[in-house]
Amino acid sequence: MAYEPQADFGTPEVRADTQVTLTIDGRRVTVPEGTSVMRAAAECGGAIPSLCATDSLAAFGSCRLCLVEVDGMRGTTASCTTPVAQDMIVRTQTPRLEKLRRGVMELYISDHPLDCLTCSANNDCELQDTAAEVGLRDVRYGYAGAHHLGQQPDLSNPYFLFAPDKCIVCSRCVRACDEVQGTLALSVEARGFASKISAGQRADDFLSSDCVSCGACVQACPTSALMEKSVKAHGKPERAVITTCAYCGVGCTFRAEMRGEQLVRMVPWKDGKANRGHSCVKGRFAWGYAHHQDRITTPMIRESIDQPWREVSWDEALAFTAGRISAVKAQHGARALGGITSSRCTNEETFLVQKLVRAGFGSNNVDTCARVCHSPTGYGLKTTFGTSAGTQDFDSVMDADVIVVIGANPTDAHPVFASRMKRRLRQGAQLIVIDPRRIDLVRSPHVKAAHHLPLQPGTNVAVMTAMAHVIVTEGLADEDFVRARCDWDEYQDWARFVSASQHSPKFLEAVTKVPAAELRAAARLYATGGNAAIYYGLGVTEHSQGSSTVMAIANLAMATGNIGRAGVGVNPLRGQNNVQGACDMGSFPHELSGYRHISDAATRRMFEQDWGVALDPEPGLRIPNMLDAAIDGSFRALYIQGEDILQSDPNTRHVAAGLAAMDCVIVHDLFLNETANFAHVFLPGSTFLEKNGTFTNAERRIQPVRKVMETANGLEDWQVTQALANALGLGWAYTHPAQILDEIARLTPTFAGVSWDRLEREASLQWPVNDQFPDGAPVMHVDGFVRGKGHFVVTDYMPTDEKTGPRYPLLLTTGRILSQYNVGAQTRRTANTAWHPEDVLEIHPLDAENRGLKEGDWARLASRTGETSLRVSVTDRVAPGVVYTTFHHPETQANVVTTDYSDWATNCPEYKVTAVQVTPSNGPSDWQEDYAGLTARSRRIAAEPGE
Amino acid sequence: MSGTHDRLVYMANQIARNFAVQGETAAIAATARHIHDFWDPRMRDAIMAGEDAGLSDIAAGAIARLRGTLRSG
Amino acid sequence: MTAVRISDDALALACGADALAAAFEAAGCTVERASSWGMHWLEPLVEIDGMGFGPATPEDVDAILSGKSAKAIGPIATHPFIAGQQRLTFARAGRTRALSLEDYERTGGWAGLERARRIGPEHVLDEVARSGLRGRGGAGFPAGVKWRTVAKAPGARKFIVCNADEGDSGTFADRMLMEGDPLQLIEGMAIAAHAVGAAQGYIYIRSEYPHAIRKLRDALKLCADIIAPFNIDVRVGAGAYVCGEETSLLNSLEGKRGEVRGKPPLPALQGLFGCPTVVNNVLTLAAVPHILAEGGAQDYEARGAGRSKGTMPIQLAGNIRHGGLYETPFGVTLNQLIFEIGGGTASGRPVKAVQVGGPLGAYLHPGQFDIPFDYEAYAAADALIGHGGITVFDDTADMAAMARFAMEFCAVESCGKCTPCRIGSVRGQEIIDRILSGGRQADAVELLPQMHNARLAERSQAEEVQLLEELCAVMKDASLCALGGFTPYPVMSALRHWPADFGLSAR
Repeated sequence: MAYEPQADFGTPEVRADTQVTLTIDGRRVTVPEGTSVMRAAAECGGAIPSLCATDSLAAFGSCRLCLVEVDGMRGTTASCTTPVAQDMIVRTQTPRLEKLRRGVMELYISDHPLDCLTCSANNDCELQDTAAEVGLRDVRYGYAGAHHLGQQPDLSNPYFLFAPDKCIVCSRCVRACDEVQGTLALSVEARGFASKISAGQRADDFLSSDCVSCGACVQACPTSALMEKSVKAHGKPERAVITTCAYCGVGCTFRAEMRGEQLVRMVPWKDGKANRGHSCVKGRFAWGYAHHQDRITTPMIRESIDQPWREVSWDEALAFTAGRISAVKAQHGARALGGITSSRCTNEETFLVQKLVRAGFGSNNVDTCARVCHSPTGYGLKTTFGTSAGTQDFDSVMDADVIVVIGANPTDAHPVFASRMKRRLRQGAQLIVIDPRRIDLVRSPHVKAAHHLPLQPGTNVAVMTAMAHVIVTEGLADEDFVRARCDWDEYQDWARFVSASQHSPKFLEAVTKVPAAELRAAARLYATGGNAAIYYGLGVTEHSQGSSTVMAIANLAMATGNIGRAGVGVNPLRGQNNVQGACDMGSFPHELSGYRHISDAATRRMFEQDWGVALDPEPGLRIPNMLDAAIDGSFRALYIQGEDILQSDPNTRHVAAGLAAMDCVIVHDLFLNETANFAHVFLPGSTFLEKNGTFTNAERRIQPVRKVMETANGLEDWQVTQALANALGLGWAYTHPAQILDEIARLTPTFAGVSWDRLEREASLQWPVNDQFPDGAPVMHVDGFVRGKGHFVVTDYMPTDEKTGPRYPLLLTTGRILSQYNVGAQTRRTANTAWHPEDVLEIHPLDAENRGLKEGDWARLASRTGETSLRVSVTDRVAPGVVYTTFHHPETQANVVTTDYSDWATNCPEYKVTAVQVTPSNGPSDWQEDYAGLTARSRRIAAEPGE
Repeated sequence: MSGTHDRLVYMANQIARNFAVQGETAAIAATARHIHDFWDPRMRDAIMAGEDAGLSDIAAGAIARLRGTLRSG
Repeated sequence: MTAVRISDDALALACGADALAAAFEAAGCTVERASSWGMHWLEPLVEIDGMGFGPATPEDVDAILSGKSAKAIGPIATHPFIAGQQRLTFARAGRTRALSLEDYERTGGWAGLERARRIGPEHVLDEVARSGLRGRGGAGFPAGVKWRTVAKAPGARKFIVCNADEGDSGTFADRMLMEGDPLQLIEGMAIAAHAVGAAQGYIYIRSEYPHAIRKLRDALKLCADIIAPFNIDVRVGAGAYVCGEETSLLNSLEGKRGEVRGKPPLPALQGLFGCPTVVNNVLTLAAVPHILAEGGAQDYEARGAGRSKGTMPIQLAGNIRHGGLYETPFGVTLNQLIFEIGGGTASGRPVKAVQVGGPLGAYLHPGQFDIPFDYEAYAAADALIGHGGITVFDDTADMAAMARFAMEFCAVESCGKCTPCRIGSVRGQEIIDRILSGGRQADAVELLPQMHNARLAERSQAEEVQLLEELCAVMKDASLCALGGFTPYPVMSALRHWPADFGLSAR
């Protein structure tokens, strides 16, 4: 696609049942009632000049360029704020309007720099365009009057600059921050001619203000007052490619705007149905890692992990790898081999890795990082509803009256969806937050939770049961829904269970530490406040009862009838871009694509016929089981695509021991990650910018990933997997991921109607897409549950075995922060480190004082598993007795501390509860120092012969 | 192998504990089913081959049931 | 003991009423603090048994009490300034105590509200419409139409907002009413609430009116039970003139920046917090109890001229001898107001210009003093009635300076939202300066060789005048609210009538 700005209709689209017909400049136009005259004109191709209007923001009416004349109305009226009326007659071009517009432009330009040719917005500037449109030829005021020129730009943000002298005070940035992002960091300071856009308080610059660098203001700016520094550096883009972000599970679509092979900027795509034209600091700006100096683009091998790496050709690397795999297989059997698929890679790549393991290696030892995040979601929602996925699309939140956020921190981890949620909350929806920490949503500008239940970490099931107790015993359940849609006998068993007095909020208060009255009020609100939607995250799943909590949530939704329409549902917020897709693609050891058990002969036969091999009918090993088996010696070779299990998985020492015990560890990644310290083969990977394929986001939306630039290493990731398969003699011959997608569709009933061509045409599809749902399913379980009757599962609260005691009196829980992503492999290699240069430990003032810790002090964080050191931040966001940190930085290695405890059903690690002690420290722990040494040794790359 | 066996026993007990609310008979069946569906054969073999010491009643019942079905099959 | 009445109106206080009252008390009198009659040149005015003395100082006490004062003006009620008026809204002015429920009821207070409750909302709307009452804030929009719009608008929550941000130069009627007869305003709001179905009202008042704020708050405490379940809260502004514009006022009430909103949506449909809202001026709402009393609507409608019905409390200020509050039916002329009623200038010099309607009102030339005081007649003369403030200037006034001041006022008070007002008002001052200096040469930037398209030739005074006229056209037609939109009135009227003051020959 050639570069051209995205179409802008001036004011937001209006949906209405009634259509209105009017005449604009002699043309008859029919639009929905409530549409602005400006939008009506734009839709019929007669755009009216304007500067303060853009269709992502409510009409504002400040620039006064869009004036029109309307028959029967006195004077002139702003077309952006004037709604259409039946038979209205509008004139947008008259001599008087021409004169007025030119007069307004003349005022603007009397206070604006004149050196457009050297401006970074040259030829991509609405002010410049409008001056041209109105035919401004002379600024009769001259340039000697009062002006705002010569002011210093604010360069504090690493990605964009603010040049106040180019600002026309249209407030688009302020309104974008308010309406689109919902942070309200920007305001207009002073008034009249002195009006000035200001971030935060007067003393602030953009970086020190509340600005979250989402980029909405930059996108909204009609001039170059707010401009990406990359555009200043590289110039105006000359082509644009629509693709899907590779960060979190929201799945924002972007226009990658390019000059040749140079990515100039990523701009959220307005037609993207997941993000609706919005973005966050990661997707919008943090793509510099693609060209970071740490990027490895040449394959490397080594005999053993104490040797330096040796750079080799693809052929040599693949031959070496195939040899090792074959040797292990010959000596230890197929079940000694396995692979890990990546939630960051495409569906097609993931599908190929599990195919390689099942059809090539001959085992079912394939797992994916969803093991350590949302595997309980898969188990819990499949058990209760029949589908391992969230029930809604993101748009659904705009119909919710009550929003429940459990164990999720959307403003940090799913920021673009959080902005939608906040928009709905500002419209009046009520919010319930169930989280040990006072996350930002609990209290932020124009958002305040009706109830925050700061539960003791590890007591989710008890809280859910107590809520169910209130709903059932107070007669708030929707029994008509339950009778019609669920198994009534199972419901009664469940209702009896939750009604027992030992499940009352009062009784459980001792365990949950949630005040009974507050919990009761929250339960009542959920059951009676209208459409109620639950959004949850890893604070639900990463527990020893993660699966139970997911089922308990599903029970609540079914019991209150909050399933099967817009505005309700059970919605897991997926952590990584393609974690939904990786699960869909058969990445779990017991399942083939579409969540069909490997023991099902008919399904297996389908794959066997297509692939021409026999499949092992038994489930394979999960990641923690692989590591256990490696230490035992029965598991010896592992192909890891795009994951860093050493940093991301719990009990780092145990992971290290397991990896060290293997004969062949193949790391396929962009960087020499922590896991690569234990690898024998390093296969360079490609970024999402360098390949074609699809991602599936948290709302089951399949979206194309398009190749924006050439690969740095010569091969897209699916090609690497294919080359490895072929080195093993499998004879694959895919020439484009579209063919892999066809294979997926052929073998997976829920994907039957999906194809690359269709995605090219329709931009996205929400599975299931098949004969029953030819256009996909934004909302699931509308007329009935996928499994038939909704299944109530009695979930009994079991305290975790990880207990606090005198030696480890505090509970550690972990999470993420906005600017960093997961293990930080990408974001740490961008300027996002400006916001979060290191992991810090949040500790309550009381606990800090007891330990003599002050803000910024080094502390030793120790558990029964291990210890690390990091700096503390003293804050009452966490309750006394609870500490919190992030796991973005390998220097901290928070997972040295986490334990082997895991979800009973899926082995999803219990990241969210670790008993710890915190003591003052004077620097890194022994482990950290040893590990730093190991890393330095392990990352050595041998000099090329002859150098 | 003992370290791994302890871990398998822990896992089996944890599964059994979460099904216990269904009553012993149903819990034994559910635990057996779960281990059958989600465990790699070498893990199942290992727990079936190992001592039952340390297994809860439900877990032991489930392992006994698996021994019956899997070994005969 | 002699009973003495002295006003506690802020203007009387400023002229020493407190010290005067203390002096009378020291002389053994009982002093009752009443509202002001509105004859400002006589304040502090002392009233004993209906007889007036003023302006009085403590030195006058003995003479007044002994009946020998030269400051005696005779019976107040028949003083020509009072007798010539038709006081409806200000019927209690000088006659009652502001915070006396007893005085209020005795003088017909609550009759309108009681009747409104009796006849029901629909009839209240009819009567307000029938009275012909139009918004007294300046726009003159029919109150009945506005109320009916709010009454019919869907919404569970509706509001009554009283605009008491009286900021026009030379105006004081709102202040006098709120200080002197706050219960009448409250009753008017309660009637409006009853008519449209509102449960909450706000009085948005400028912080510069501390006495009025105190009186209103005290009055609301006194009558809370009477107006219940309707409730009114007083909200104090922070000194921005533009917050007298209704949409800015609503933003300010919501705690936001006092920035004008685009219309539509009309506040009547989406006003305070997005709910249907009646926003009316103090004088509009205070006129309502009279209208709702038995026969009031008809009585009101019978007065006035053309489509301007009822009475207008006109405020005579500036360089005028007998300044004060003069309530009279529409149709009166400036000639009558200034010369017959006001007694000409205070300085004794000839009248040069009169600005009607506050700082955004046109300057009227003595040749226009026969225009009848009504909305339509003034509009036809490119002038405004506004809030009824009349500021008189004598022949020493420099009308070019006044025109420049209008632009300066606009620049200082602009909220900054719309371009014509934000930038135009600054450029307006610059152009007037250039006109006064006879035109301009190309500036340093225009002379740069890089500026290929800029004009190098001098711009003549006539060209600068034309630019000012065009700028005024842009401000008038394109501004978002009346601040930028009306600033051209004083500028253009000054230019038209007094070109010599701009250094121009008569045009």
